Amino acid sequence: MIKFSETQRSLAGIIAVTFFLVVAMPALNLFGSEGSFLHISDYQLNLWGKYLCYAVVAVSLNLLWGYTGLLCLGQGLFFALGGYAFGMHLMLMIGEQGAYKSALPDFMVFLGYKELPAHWIPFKSLSFSLLAVLFVPGIVAGVFGFLAFRARIKGVYFAIITQALTYAACLLFFQNSFTFGGNNGFTDFKTVLGNEIFAPSTQRALFFISAVYLSLCLFLIWWLTKTKFGKIQRAIRDSENRVRFSGYSTTTYKLIIFVVAAIMAGIAGALYVPQVGIINPEEMRPSKSLEIVVWVAVGGRATILGPVIGAIFVNWLKSYSTYHYPEYWLIILGALFVLVVLFMPNGIVGLPEQLKGFYRKHRFRFQQKKEAAAEA
Amino acid sequence: MLFRFHNLIISALFLLVSQLSADDTQAREIFVEAILAEGSEQTALVESLSTTASTLVPDFLEAWKRGDIFLLEADGSAAPTPLLEVEPEQEGGTPTYFRVIDGEEMAAGSFDPAALEMARPSRKTRRVFTMTIDLLALSTPNVQERADAALKLGLKRDDDILPKLILLRETETEPSVIEALNEGIAVSMLSHGTKEGQMDAIQLLRDENSIAGLDALKNLRHDLNDGLATHPFSEEELAKLTASIASIESYISWTDFVGTCFRGLSLGAVLLIVALGLAITFGLMGVINMAHGEMIAVGAYSAYISQTVFYSLFSESTFALETYFLFAIPFSFLTAALCGFILERTVIQFLYKRPLESLLATWGVSLILQQGFRLIFGAANRQVRSPSWLLGNVEIFDITFGFNRIFVIGFAILIVFGTWFLMAKTPMGLSIRAVMQDPQMAAAMGIRINRVRMMTFAFGSGLAGLAGVFLSQIGSVGSNLGQSYIVDSFMVVVAGGVGNIVGTVISALGIGVTDQALQPLLGPVMGRICVLVAIILFLQWKPGGLFPSKSRSLD
Repeated sequence: MIKFSETQRSLAGIIAVTFFLVVAMPALNLFGSEGSFLHISDYQLNLWGKYLCYAVVAVSLNLLWGYTGLLCLGQGLFFALGGYAFGMHLMLMIGEQGAYKSALPDFMVFLGYKELPAHWIPFKSLSFSLLAVLFVPGIVAGVFGFLAFRARIKGVYFAIITQALTYAACLLFFQNSFTFGGNNGFTDFKTVLGNEIFAPSTQRALFFISAVYLSLCLFLIWWLTKTKFGKIQRAIRDSENRVRFSGYSTTTYKLIIFVVAAIMAGIAGALYVPQVGIINPEEMRPSKSLEIVVWVAVGGRATILGPVIGAIFVNWLKSYSTYHYPEYWLIILGALFVLVVLFMPNGIVGLPEQLKGFYRKHRFRFQQKKEAAAEA
Repeated sequence: MLFRFHNLIISALFLLVSQLSADDTQAREIFVEAILAEGSEQTALVESLSTTASTLVPDFLEAWKRGDIFLLEADGSAAPTPLLEVEPEQEGGTPTYFRVIDGEEMAAGSFDPAALEMARPSRKTRRVFTMTIDLLALSTPNVQERADAALKLGLKRDDDILPKLILLRETETEPSVIEALNEGIAVSMLSHGTKEGQMDAIQLLRDENSIAGLDALKNLRHDLNDGLATHPFSEEELAKLTASIASIESYISWTDFVGTCFRGLSLGAVLLIVALGLAITFGLMGVINMAHGEMIAVGAYSAYISQTVFYSLFSESTFALETYFLFAIPFSFLTAALCGFILERTVIQFLYKRPLESLLATWGVSLILQQGFRLIFGAANRQVRSPSWLLGNVEIFDITFGFNRIFVIGFAILIVFGTWFLMAKTPMGLSIRAVMQDPQMAAAMGIRINRVRMMTFAFGSGLAGLAGVFLSQIGSVGSNLGQSYIVDSFMVVVAGGVGNIVGTVISALGIGVTDQALQPLLGPVMGRICVLVAIILFLQWKPGGLFPSKSRSLD
């Protein structure tokens, strides 16, 4: 029997996931006959598109937390910033089809604006908006990360100040005067790139792009783990001081990873907005960012597919239980979390390994019992 | 409803015939005369009502203005009898009538209601009603009311009232009322007095630091600039006026400053009570307890429960309202400590070596508890009523000090002192500090570290419960109560320096005062955002907080 190495096995996993998401699911949606077991409805596909965006955020957090040991409790902020940047473009694309039949977005008419604020004007251009999706989360992460890492804030303190950052941003975006729609955020989008936004074909295309993007992120992480950069990254997680004493500028490494993770989450946010049709400051609440941490922990941190599995599983569970047990959903999530932390430190992905270890540890006792039973 | 209630009060007054004082009898007589009189005689009579010191006058005049006074024509040439009509309690009932002169109720069949004629005050008389009522307030026995009325009348700047105020000043004996009269007269003088009177008034308002007089002074300056003033001012006199305005304005900014400091201190005290428990569980023990906010909510709900229990035991009496709070304080501490104890035994004790994971597990617990509160107590917020000794306020130098704010500051001092005493002066505190510094060595010395950790965690949670009791007094109790404070309290502990209670105290007060100082400038939300950003920047400068724990060890 041929033994596959760890990297080979995870590559195989990534390829399988990619095939399933990029090829199989859109195909089943397109060609599966209505009502058949294999058919995936438009609604399901859209739901899964949302899950995939969440999965990318989980992957980006895993890059930080799982591989570099930086627990960021503000990943939702970068996700939302990307979403807002693209949402601004979508808002302007509504044109005069809004409820007030004005060239201005509805909320601006409502708040009594006479003309478009200056910082909104460039978002009429698609390419500028796409650059903003990359640069806004990137710059915020860059400035914040530079300040935090330079002061050598780490561990628990880093977690807490990232939480404060997203909390401050959340309060800011809730303000109507901040020109980003206050607590309603952006909604009622009509078109994306000239296509009707809720048409099944548009949504299918968005799903496809999200799936491709997720696969690319997974390949990136897989490739990173093989490079020297990836090794240093993990070394920082395990013993930052040792890495620094060996002559590496851990600050720079951490900063680069932090920015990359923020951009990754930002793009996910930009893909999320047209699929869900709304973006508001709720996404920046500290509890949302904590939820992202839950996905990673449940799936298994520092594994390539863990965050994807965790994000999809937890969100599927959420959809399922908010529908079937609306009152107990939070209790289910909370209990799941406590149990995972206490009993499954390696998450779902690590479960087989854990069970194997458990079996090995107790095999001797099992055998003894068996023998005793045989003698009797 | 209110209207009818008002009528009921009037009728109650009329019914208390036996308790009529001499003042009231006199007032009634003058009132009847006034109703029957005409023209300027009527006006003079109404004005004279202000000297009667009777509490009935405002009600009478109000009723008269409203058209509730009727005249019953008498037989022959005798004067008609004035009656007061009181609306029936139920819709469609017949109104009852009372004789104004003695308050006797008229028997239903003794007269024909259709023959009644409404008594209308003349237009000129109507105009003096308000003034009469105001002047009447100047003769109430209550000193505070009298002083308020004096100032209020002065601020009207009415030249009819001014001589009356001056007259009253001569007979008044209460110093605080004289002061108010002086202030009021000065303000009136600014508009109507002679040149000397105006100059005296300017000086007096300056000496008294009269906030009420500022507007009048500014008006005068405005009039002078526009050339509308009655007497033109010389340069020197104008300078005096400007100096007086500046002096009062600086006094106002001083009182604002002290008021802001006080509100900041009380907000800081709230933050401190909230964060102190966290300073122990997070700062000393290193457990990131995201369920800390829910421990606060446990405390607040305990206050609610003790209120409910007291109400059901003693019915809704004032006794229950006044005393439940004293019971709620220890009760909340104990329930929250018990919850903390359970949490430590079931979850946290396995995670001392994995602090980041304690964050995740306790967040899970926090979700469970929040939903649990909603299931047990319902999704709607619960109201906890404050005992009367926490309501109200005291005013010193024009600065308002709310009792609840004073209480929370005192409460915070007490808790900090208690915590310090426990930590620094008791054997328990010694072993807590030993376990926190070096658990293995402490264990080797025979300290039962599991037990100490358990107790410490329970104590920290108990403190959160105390915070909850107080928060229940300044807002309603809901399942999200703790969530709104959790980020702030973590920031307080981090900014103060982890593992240091003095740092927590200073940073809580600092954050509270900064927040209150920024709020008027930037609005509440932007103020908070600025505080959060300021803390993040502060940590650049001092990454370990105000008082970092000193250690040569590397992590």
